[in-house]
Amino acid sequence: MRITILDGEMNQAKNDYSVFIDDLVLLLKKKHSVDYYHINQMELKYCTGCWSCWWKTPGECSQKDGAEHIFRSYINSDFIIFASPFMVGFTSSALKKIIDRLIVLLHPYIQMKMGESHHNKRYDRYPEFGLILQKEEDTDEEDIEITNDIYDRLALNFHSKRRYTRFIEDTNLNDILNETCNI
Amino acid sequence: MRLVIFNGSPRYKNSNSAILIEHFLKGYNREVSNTVPVYYFANKSQREASGKIFSQADTVLVFFPLYTDCMPGIVKEFIEIIAQQSLSGEYKKIGFVVQSGFPESIHSSFLEKYLKKLTLRLNCEYLGTVIKGGVEGIQMMPAPMTTKLFSQFENLGKYFGTNETFEQNILNELHKPYTFSRTHVRIFNLLSRFGVTNFYWNSNLKKNGAYGNRFARPY
Repeated sequence: MRITILDGEMNQAKNDYSVFIDDLVLLLKKKHSVDYYHINQMELKYCTGCWSCWWKTPGECSQKDGAEHIFRSYINSDFIIFASPFMVGFTSSALKKIIDRLIVLLHPYIQMKMGESHHNKRYDRYPEFGLILQKEEDTDEEDIEITNDIYDRLALNFHSKRRYTRFIEDTNLNDILNETCNI
Repeated sequence: MRLVIFNGSPRYKNSNSAILIEHFLKGYNREVSNTVPVYYFANKSQREASGKIFSQADTVLVFFPLYTDCMPGIVKEFIEIIAQQSLSGEYKKIGFVVQSGFPESIHSSFLEKYLKKLTLRLNCEYLGTVIKGGVEGIQMMPAPMTTKLFSQFENLGKYFGTNETFEQNILNELHKPYTFSRTHVRIFNLLSRFGVTNFYWNSNLKKNGAYGNRFARPY
């Protein structure tokens, strides 16, 4: 299967988190096709809200800064891993930077789902995703619930599903491998 | 109070957030004569200076649009900047105004929980989060369609000028609807059949000569 990992780590130094993600990528690559993107090491721009992707060049972002490779990987993957250390109770701004720009993969038209408006699909299928996080010193159950809720909303809008949330502190790589590949 | 407003819209000064801030300040300045500085996260140098600006304020309001079910990346960067310096324990009051294109406030309600927790994490006083849906398109709407919205924001600002907090009744009104009723959904689905619900998008697609390519799948 094809897996895309979007890594929002912002710390350049090697640490427990980066070692965990490096090991995970190596493990997944043994049997799968893996596209790994360390967002903070790419010179990606923030979404400017210009909506060129919706009404000038439908489906394409006007900023040609390498994000188009991520869009292609994302929509053609079987599974997505959003990875990030918690930073002030949520995933990093680097990860949010690329998530904002994934709007290019949706259609501006609106449909109703459970009494709510949501964007139509642009593509036939959208991959499910998992969250791999590292806790901060003060991370508590409420932070985890809030983060899961927000990513569940993202899943709803992206015609997708959050399959798991795992923390590097108490998860082994094989469990993530099984949960990621058990479609 | 030294009030500072941050505009967290990636669209900078042409944003809908800027319009809401303008009307909020119009009301605010009926009660308080001070000029309130407005800073923009879309401006890189202002975003990078936001920590210092934040530290010098007593009260901070952050206006921004909902982006992919959460705050825009530039707002998250701001949060990371101010969290780094919050160790100094400077007490402040913080409030948020989240606006979205989606008309229902449910889309922003999960983010509201984060913003409340964030404020407490920073050891600051939480003034609340104003949520207003259906804001996309206000720059194209004829004046009668925005009169109520702008008036609500002026009244919100006026009350804030006197009381340094959001007026609960206005806040409650702005939050409506939380979700659509079954009747609304039926009406929407009926209008959708005739393409009425896509009018805003289609008119812009046509204006840009992109209508025929609207279902493109480049990736």
